[in-house]
Amino acid sequence: MAEAVITKEEIMAVFPTVQKTMADALGCDVDDIKLDVSLIEGLDAESIDFLDMVFRLERAFKIKVPRGKIIEDVRGDMAVTDFEQGGVVTDKGVARLREYLSEIDESRFKLPMRVDHIARLYTPETFCKLVIRAQRASQAAG
Amino acid sequence: MVLSTARATSAAPIGRFAAFSFVDQITQIQGVTRVCGLYTIPANIEHFPASLVAEALGQLAAWVAMSTLGFSHRPVAALAGDTKIFSLPKPGDTLELIVDIESCDAESILYRGHALVKGCLVLELADTVGSMLDIQEFDDPAALAADFAQLSTGGRAVGAFRGVPKPSLTDLPTSTLEHLQAQLAVPAQAAFFEDHFPRRPVFPATLLLDALLQLAVRVAAQAASGKTLRLTRITNVKVRAFTAPGASLLLSALLAAPGSDELEPYMVKLTAQGEGKTIAGAKMYFALAGDTA
Repeated sequence: MAEAVITKEEIMAVFPTVQKTMADALGCDVDDIKLDVSLIEGLDAESIDFLDMVFRLERAFKIKVPRGKIIEDVRGDMAVTDFEQGGVVTDKGVARLREYLSEIDESRFKLPMRVDHIARLYTPETFCKLVIRAQRASQAAG
Repeated sequence: MVLSTARATSAAPIGRFAAFSFVDQITQIQGVTRVCGLYTIPANIEHFPASLVAEALGQLAAWVAMSTLGFSHRPVAALAGDTKIFSLPKPGDTLELIVDIESCDAESILYRGHALVKGCLVLELADTVGSMLDIQEFDDPAALAADFAQLSTGGRAVGAFRGVPKPSLTDLPTSTLEHLQAQLAVPAQAAFFEDHFPRRPVFPATLLLDALLQLAVRVAAQAASGKTLRLTRITNVKVRAFTAPGASLLLSALLAAPGSDELEPYMVKLTAQGEGKTIAGAKMYFALAGDTA
């Protein structure tokens, strides 16, 4: 079943909390957290910051986000070998990434793309969507 | 599973699995949920800081994480959300270490833990997250598996830790009474680098925290007009990057106002920077000695 579209209104409803949570995790000003800034290239986030942000978002929104959830969701039912080969995302994998990370400007998908470089694409909006998906999953589970 | 309680007692050699190893024995493993262990602080060392009690809990969690993942990954960099310090253990004390693991996979481990001496709580860790990295980069997986087997079946020899050198700090002229800045000269060589880690020496984050504590104590003492203080909590610890032997770090301790829901009267914000980037941060809280905050 295709995922219900995540609306701009839903994103803007969670963004203020995501923004404050990210600013706390990264030790920067709230105003630095724009919806579309690259967390790694724009805000110098490191891998430990992503763990920190997810952990803080879980607390702030009372949700559970399994580690590696973004890549897992992107891949969906696609076999690992269909998604990546030798650490490089396949064409099918990139198409899936573009669809899932629809908030990211096309120009930022540089090919060939290494799997360990996918996180460079992430923006605060990516995490807003992660929160909304987790909230929906929680509601669906009752 | 309750493991053997017999313990080896002779002194171990310095270096790997000795110079910076703070678990002598793993006494109990309950799946991937709870692990218990022991560590005896050698009686002949001068000082065993609170941060090394936290290190002992982290290492106990790391043993279970590594074992669970077949010694393919190990937790290295860390977040420690809230650490409460109740008392400082003394040389010669045996720490009872208990770690409760909330989740553990190839990406991260989330756990909490506490340490006791003779049944009394000395330190409590909560909201602790370790990032999992490829174990091959840091140590020989087969050697680690053998060490784990030894810890789980009778334990290793106690007394191997010889202490660590006091941090080499030089105050910077930009310092003020409420904002101390100092240069930390990380030693280029030290026994603990052979153990942390054998294939890639990294300055232990817990020693960095101890160096930050030296500054925090001075800032808080100044604010308290010389009254005797005790460290009660360390929160928001985040280690974002590795520090290599011989590195020079800029440490900063800034007196800040505690939140309205916080009991301690003094809070100090701490950062460590290397090559212009923040590599670690924390907040330390102090209460007047004798207060129960």
